[in-house]
Amino acid sequence: MTLKEKIESNQFIVCGEITPPQSCDGNILREKLKYFKDCIDAVNITDNQRAIVRLSSIASAKILIDEGVEPIMQMTCRDRNRLAIQSDLLGAASFGIKNVLCLTGDYQKFGDQPEAKGVFDLDSIQLIATVDKMNSGFLLSGYEMKKAPEFFIGAAANPFAEPFEMRLINLYKKAEAGARFIQTQPVFDLETFTRWMEKVVGMGLHKKTAIIAGVMPVHSVKTLNWMKEKVPGIKINDEYSCRIKAAADPKQEGVKIAVELINELKNIVGIRGIHLMPVMWENITPIIINESKIKEFNKIGL
Amino acid sequence: MFKNLAAMNKPPISMRERKVSRFMLFFEDIVKVPLFRCQRCGECILSSTAFICSQNCPKRMRNGPCGGTGRDGSCEVYPDRKCVWYKIYYRSKFLNRMSLLYKFKKIHNWNLEGTSAWLNVFKKRIEPPIWFVHNDKQKVKELISG
Repeated sequence: MTLKEKIESNQFIVCGEITPPQSCDGNILREKLKYFKDCIDAVNITDNQRAIVRLSSIASAKILIDEGVEPIMQMTCRDRNRLAIQSDLLGAASFGIKNVLCLTGDYQKFGDQPEAKGVFDLDSIQLIATVDKMNSGFLLSGYEMKKAPEFFIGAAANPFAEPFEMRLINLYKKAEAGARFIQTQPVFDLETFTRWMEKVVGMGLHKKTAIIAGVMPVHSVKTLNWMKEKVPGIKINDEYSCRIKAAADPKQEGVKIAVELINELKNIVGIRGIHLMPVMWENITPIIINESKIKEFNKIGL
Repeated sequence: MFKNLAAMNKPPISMRERKVSRFMLFFEDIVKVPLFRCQRCGECILSSTAFICSQNCPKRMRNGPCGGTGRDGSCEVYPDRKCVWYKIYYRSKFLNRMSLLYKFKKIHNWNLEGTSAWLNVFKKRIEPPIWFVHNDKQKVKELISG
């Protein structure tokens, strides 16, 4: 069963995330994949995350397909203009990649080469609309393709950035443009997230697009502080940093927090899945999934 | 969903028109640069962004903010500046122009860069500005429910 079929038949989704290596060694990817293989529905492949050069997301997604795991390929607008985006998407479709997550992309200033020129020819909403148009068989130029790709379009949402209502407008536009699933930023602030979800349900957007909540297991206070400083638009409750700081085994506490968050999130009305982002801590994935018993979780209704 | 995603070069821009455009741009700049910090994109959407130029955004977002707006509304790229879309949101709210934020903005036509937006409106390449919005709250409600 593909991700599309699972979402359409209202199954509870669990996604993972892999950051491709900064080299051409595909075995690193296969090594990381072991932890995801049997416990996850699909794995996100980041596209030069934080503007650092990495193995391309299309090539990585192809490796995943060969290994028998369903990839969600991220596509950013930072590095490509509309021509490259369309041709890359066609290339991805020819490899059998179905799931695309459309993002604007981190600004190049945050990367290892801040001197680079950012393209930003399209923004994420325009990218979603472009992929949707390609699905209907046309390129942006209006040229009719002989065979239309069948992408399952995803997008990202950040419930924690300001202004709050603007995030809902953005989500509305993304759903209208053709996004069928939404992955949120990692949740470290349940209160804001619940408030956001209530509004989303109130607008009826959870029926148009499947909302998958992000969870990021953290193994040290250093990572949390780094995220607080370096990742823009993120909100982290002090409670979590205090708990990890006070714990004898910060890793154990990190797992505990992640499991707690998953258990809270899965019962929120409108949540259709969990997106695990164990950045640089991939081997924790099966443990968290086992402890939270999320694979057996069956949500009734939306 | 959206039939015409990108603004097209229709009618095509002739050399003669480019000259006229340059002349018009002189007057347009006098108005728009000091008032709105106009970036001369030639495809003006000022009226639907509450008269704040969205092209001042480092990512040149035309449809809404990226995910990086800080707690205090600061831009992720230049933390000492306010996010352009943060300002647009609050002014839209103040001016009762929220329904315009729900509109999809077309993909930018880079051929229009550095041409006169006023002339482009006259030539029907781009949509005319929306001066007045009536029943804004009602419109938003209809958009969400419809």
